[in-house]
Amino acid sequence: MNRIIFILILCTSTLAIGQNVLIKNGTVLTVTKGTLAETDVLITNGKIAQIAKNIKKEANYNEIDATGLYVMPGIIDAHSHIALDVVNEATSPVTAEVNVGDALNPLDVSIYRALAGGVTISHAMHGSANAIGGQCETIKHRFGEINPDNLRMQGAPRTIKFALGENPIRTHGEGSKIVPNTRMGVEQIFRNAFSEAKIYAKEWDDYKNGLRKSSPEYNLRHETISDILKGNILIHCHSYRADEILMLMRVLKDFGVSKVCFQHVNEGFKVAPELAAFGASASVFSDWWAYKFEVYYSTAYNAAILTRNGVVTSINSDSDELIRHLYHEAAKTQRYGDLSDDEALALITINPAKQLGIEKMAGSIEVGKDGDIAIFKGHPLSVYAIPQMTLVDGAIKFDINKDPDDMRLDINPSEKFSSFYETDKSQENNGCLQDVSEMLMQESYAKYLRFRYSKNHSH
Amino acid sequence: MVKFYFRALVGIIFLLTPERSFLQNSDAPKSLGNTYFIKNCFVVQKPGIVLSGQNVLIKDGFISDICPSSKPPFDAQIIQADSMYVYAGFIDGFSNIGISKPESKDRPKLPDPGNPPNDLAGITPQNSSLDSYKSSDKSVSDMRSAGFVISNVAPRGLMLPGQCNLILLGDESADKLLLKAKTGQTFQLESNRGIYPATIIGVMAKFREIYKNASIAGNHEAKYIANPSGLMRPDFSRELMAMYPVTTQKMPLFFVTQKTKDVHKALSLKEELGFDLILTEVKQGWHYIDKIKKTNTRVLLSLDLPEIEKKKAKSETAKDSLSTKKDSVSTKELEKVEKNPEKEAFDVKKEQSTKEYLSQAALFEKQGILFGFSFLNVKPSDIKNNIRTLIENGLSEDAALAALTTNPAQILGINNVSGTVEKGKIANLIITDKPYFNEKSAVKYTFVDGRKYEYQEKKKQENKPTEAGKFIGTWTYTVEVPGSVQKGKMVITKSAGEYMIKVFDNSSPGEEDVANNISVNENSVTFNIIADMGQPVKVDFDLKFAEKAYSGSVSVGEFGTFPIKGEYESEPKLF
Repeated sequence: MNRIIFILILCTSTLAIGQNVLIKNGTVLTVTKGTLAETDVLITNGKIAQIAKNIKKEANYNEIDATGLYVMPGIIDAHSHIALDVVNEATSPVTAEVNVGDALNPLDVSIYRALAGGVTISHAMHGSANAIGGQCETIKHRFGEINPDNLRMQGAPRTIKFALGENPIRTHGEGSKIVPNTRMGVEQIFRNAFSEAKIYAKEWDDYKNGLRKSSPEYNLRHETISDILKGNILIHCHSYRADEILMLMRVLKDFGVSKVCFQHVNEGFKVAPELAAFGASASVFSDWWAYKFEVYYSTAYNAAILTRNGVVTSINSDSDELIRHLYHEAAKTQRYGDLSDDEALALITINPAKQLGIEKMAGSIEVGKDGDIAIFKGHPLSVYAIPQMTLVDGAIKFDINKDPDDMRLDINPSEKFSSFYETDKSQENNGCLQDVSEMLMQESYAKYLRFRYSKNHSH
Repeated sequence: MVKFYFRALVGIIFLLTPERSFLQNSDAPKSLGNTYFIKNCFVVQKPGIVLSGQNVLIKDGFISDICPSSKPPFDAQIIQADSMYVYAGFIDGFSNIGISKPESKDRPKLPDPGNPPNDLAGITPQNSSLDSYKSSDKSVSDMRSAGFVISNVAPRGLMLPGQCNLILLGDESADKLLLKAKTGQTFQLESNRGIYPATIIGVMAKFREIYKNASIAGNHEAKYIANPSGLMRPDFSRELMAMYPVTTQKMPLFFVTQKTKDVHKALSLKEELGFDLILTEVKQGWHYIDKIKKTNTRVLLSLDLPEIEKKKAKSETAKDSLSTKKDSVSTKELEKVEKNPEKEAFDVKKEQSTKEYLSQAALFEKQGILFGFSFLNVKPSDIKNNIRTLIENGLSEDAALAALTTNPAQILGINNVSGTVEKGKIANLIITDKPYFNEKSAVKYTFVDGRKYEYQEKKKQENKPTEAGKFIGTWTYTVEVPGSVQKGKMVITKSAGEYMIKVFDNSSPGEEDVANNISVNENSVTFNIIADMGQPVKVDFDLKFAEKAYSGSVSVGEFGTFPIKGEYESEPKLF
């Protein structure tokens, strides 16, 4: 019964009603303003209203006893693909016009799993098949909402995915035999796209200023890229190698664009001073590499080196599994690079917030910010840390003590199995196909590749 | 193999083509008179209004009188309808009825998949369902026998397949049976894999771009017509021109929105761009019911319902399958199957979810939202059962009838000519032997545009002959082509559960034609053979079997349909 009530609560809690909650007596890791022992955090209407000792609870406030627990800002993942029905529109090297915001899937149970790892905000990104991929969406993990609009973080700036290197080359050069077939080609894609958008914007300006009688054709692709040139969209660029990172900074400088966050950026440590000088930020894996040729020259010290060089750095997941333990990923920078607690925590809180342009609303425990909180047993950078409770806008979205088995929001009535596990198992045990499995292997491998390609062609 | 027979047949048809129209006219059942007197029936005039002991007069395609005491005119065919029910013929709000599925083609290899021609990208708003509609398609007679008289037919295709048309479900050509042209454009979140736009994000972006450009081009054209001086000549784009009326809200957009996220996309896009939206094929729309109501959005609910499992039966079969798998299964293991908390929790959720799907229509009724039905994915033979399921889940019979008649008439703007049984309306009627929603009711007659279609009660299986006696054997046949008679033998055999049919024509001894796509129903057999006439010509057979004899029709490609009949001769033998 408890389960059902909990699900009902999740389903009916709407974001319109900001939650009131008092978190009592925790060790508050503000990230930006130090660590406060035995301190209360008061959340009113979903926003942090007060941080102090011994705050008096008013009548319409829920109370969470955090005695002996750590209270940190909700974790932010600057690179993820959860809650999306589509990741890549991989048919053209430039698809700036598409927007994964049109494919948001609030029913994705990955959102709940991310909450179970303390993550309250993620950057739902287009994939890396195209040099200029689609626009991305910064989402709040308001699991239980059915309306996709309710995931969108109001006030978060627009962002767009760029990609360098092997992915766009393989997809378009090798796949369709068109530009780009080399890293030089990738550069030319950017230069052409920016130049065309400039001409396009001028045509429309002329029309609006009466210098031209007929309206130009509307082109959503050019329209979007001219918004990048105007500084209205932040670039998040999939990248690995130092040379191509420098290349993109040169291109952006030529076109007067300054806002860029390099994603993955495994060779960022080689060009850390250049990144800092440009004002570019970096979002990296803690220790993941060698999954393809351009990702061999890598180090677990990357985040620390970038941080020490003054680059705003974050650690991301790019995975619905890794997103559940980003606090461990951040902790690795203490083993590899001796970052302080606040520096390490900043990698998964205030720094990704800066990269997404939401640092005024999230990323630290400060009065006025969103009531997005993760509560841990054990210090979040300890290997023994266990997330206890996660709040979004002051609403409890995960509670380890009320964690039902099946959190799916949308059950297809024709679904036969109670879990993904059973679905998989039943396929494995499909005895009548055993003898033809070799025959099918080639076909199913091709299918698998297509699936990977369409869903996860992202890192 | 040379097909003398079909060459002969097709040749004769070619020769006769100029006279075909004459022949057809004299052939048509209409010649028997187009006045019908439906005697002593209940008339369900519109949802909630039932008149008893009425006589309905149909004349010249119209309902010319409804009266309890009238006398039949001398030329009327009298239909004794004691205790039968006359309803307004049903209206299908949106479907692909009469439009055959395109043959699946290999994905074309394009030099640049990011920039395909519009037709490959699925952008064909200039297409009209009238161009691909065929009244001879089986789906048309299937819908008609299910009580439907009008379909709002959309062309098949991808994101923007084209214009819908309201077509009367008779058996003449679409042009003759067109009730209302260009009822709307269709938009589906569907794409050609590997070609731009390949995904829903591509489709959404492309739609926005097309819409804005249609609006720009439409305005420009208007300006140019008013005063062309110094203005660029408008671009001629058939795609954009077809979209002009959508951008000015003169033509609605049927947005196919099956699941909850699709409904959200449609409503958001409408808010963003401002077109006149008709939510179509809605399966999971209850999350947005407030918004639908607030915006007065018209709705066509899907009748493609999730299948309901019979709970008890299922757990038993689970047990059975386990025990048959392993005879020595321990009771412990059996209990484990029975008490799997995860499975139980799942079943509760699933049941709840199923209930939501099935009670959607009832919820919409309760909220006072006007809705009809659409029929993209439902078999005509399932329609009544599915509606009964909706009724079992809270939908009132009146609301169900309204969703089949008056509501779609209103949504599609034809309520002045159809949707109710009223004097002066088009004679689009059905006659059922019991109230339609009764489990055992059957449609006895469908009138489409004043033309009668009669349905025999399906013979009960009491004295059914064995299948062998019914179909298997050697049969004679006679095909009457105008000016000629074609004779031969047909051998039907069955082995390993599969029927096989060979056709031997007298004009080409020693040759045989082997049938494809054999479909056997209770009393009927349909199949086709492909005749090689330089190009392949498909010859469709549709045969109704009675005891030791059959009759039916043969359709030869586009050349026409001809009567065929034959008799049982002997056990199967070859010639």
